[in-house]
Amino acid sequence: MDFYSFFAAIENSAIGTFVRETLNALPIINVFHVVGLSLVFGTIFMVDMRLIGLQSVSRPVSRVAQDLLKWTWVGFALAAVTGLLMFAANATTFYVNLQFQLKMVALVFAGLNMVVFELITARNMAHWDNERRTPPAARFAGFASISLWVLIIVLGRWIGYTKGFNFSAPPAGDLDLDNLFGAISLVQTAVG
Amino acid sequence: MQEFAAWLAGTGLSQTIASSLWMIPVIQSVHIVTFGVLIGALLMVDLRILGVIAKDQSLVTVTRRYAPWVWGCIVVLAASGLLLIVGEPARELLSFSFWAKMSLLAVGIVIAAAFQIHVRNNQAKWAETEMVAPATKVFAVLSFFIWLGIIAMGRLIAWDTEIWGSLSPQA
Repeated sequence: MDFYSFFAAIENSAIGTFVRETLNALPIINVFHVVGLSLVFGTIFMVDMRLIGLQSVSRPVSRVAQDLLKWTWVGFALAAVTGLLMFAANATTFYVNLQFQLKMVALVFAGLNMVVFELITARNMAHWDNERRTPPAARFAGFASISLWVLIIVLGRWIGYTKGFNFSAPPAGDLDLDNLFGAISLVQTAVG
Repeated sequence: MQEFAAWLAGTGLSQTIASSLWMIPVIQSVHIVTFGVLIGALLMVDLRILGVIAKDQSLVTVTRRYAPWVWGCIVVLAASGLLLIVGEPARELLSFSFWAKMSLLAVGIVIAAAFQIHVRNNQAKWAETEMVAPATKVFAVLSFFIWLGIIAMGRLIAWDTEIWGSLSPQA
């Protein structure tokens, strides 16, 4: 079985079909994906900023990491599960989408950066835990992590703007001014 | 309002943003990255209030460390949000999600400001007290979910009619 038919099978699976065909499932899953990714990015950002030396410098690195990183994993779990559900619903479309492919590559690099940091850079952390200025390898890890996660977010957003997706978002700039004014007066009535 | 929206959609800036292929996605990406940082900073203050993290440090210390990020992010979010409104006036101003988001935003900002003013005016108390009153804990949880709600409403702008039906002005 080639990859394309593998992903077609995922798309046609019960779960893929369920997500795709259930009313409002995709918008709601997408909301939780965004909540998950903001937890991931917000918490990892603060740890990375500590590594770079721009945040919480008077607190030991290990303490900062301890405060934040378990919430990074909570956010990642939420983003991963919701991401998999959205993937399952349109697997073949994602599979051939360049922005999606690049996003997955960036995710792998973010994971590698983390593994290298944990296994090599953080091995002698006891020596620099209390230092305001961390070793170059740690600063690099922080900088690489922020860059990769920003890239992941940008590519993720970009997927929604690439052809072949039916996220039923109203196209930008496609304004019907007559309808627009009718709808504004509706808002005015609603707001009072 | 009608004149305002018409004028807004007709401005040079609006048409520049709307006719560009990349401006809206780029501004949205800046918006997303920024609210991620905001959520990280808020989470740390709220978890300190709940006594889950950083119990070795006072609330004053933790607030001082993260509050600048919260306010800095709100400024960037407002600026990028305004550009999105200018670029897509109908999508934003004619959506239920947008106005729900703005209402939650007002509440979220009031709670954040009131909390920070309170901590600033009672520094001695908060520097010593490790225990936090239950009411403060309720507000911490409430505030965090309000900000998650703001994010949710922001994302739902894209599906306003599908989600809200006749509540959506686009319906």
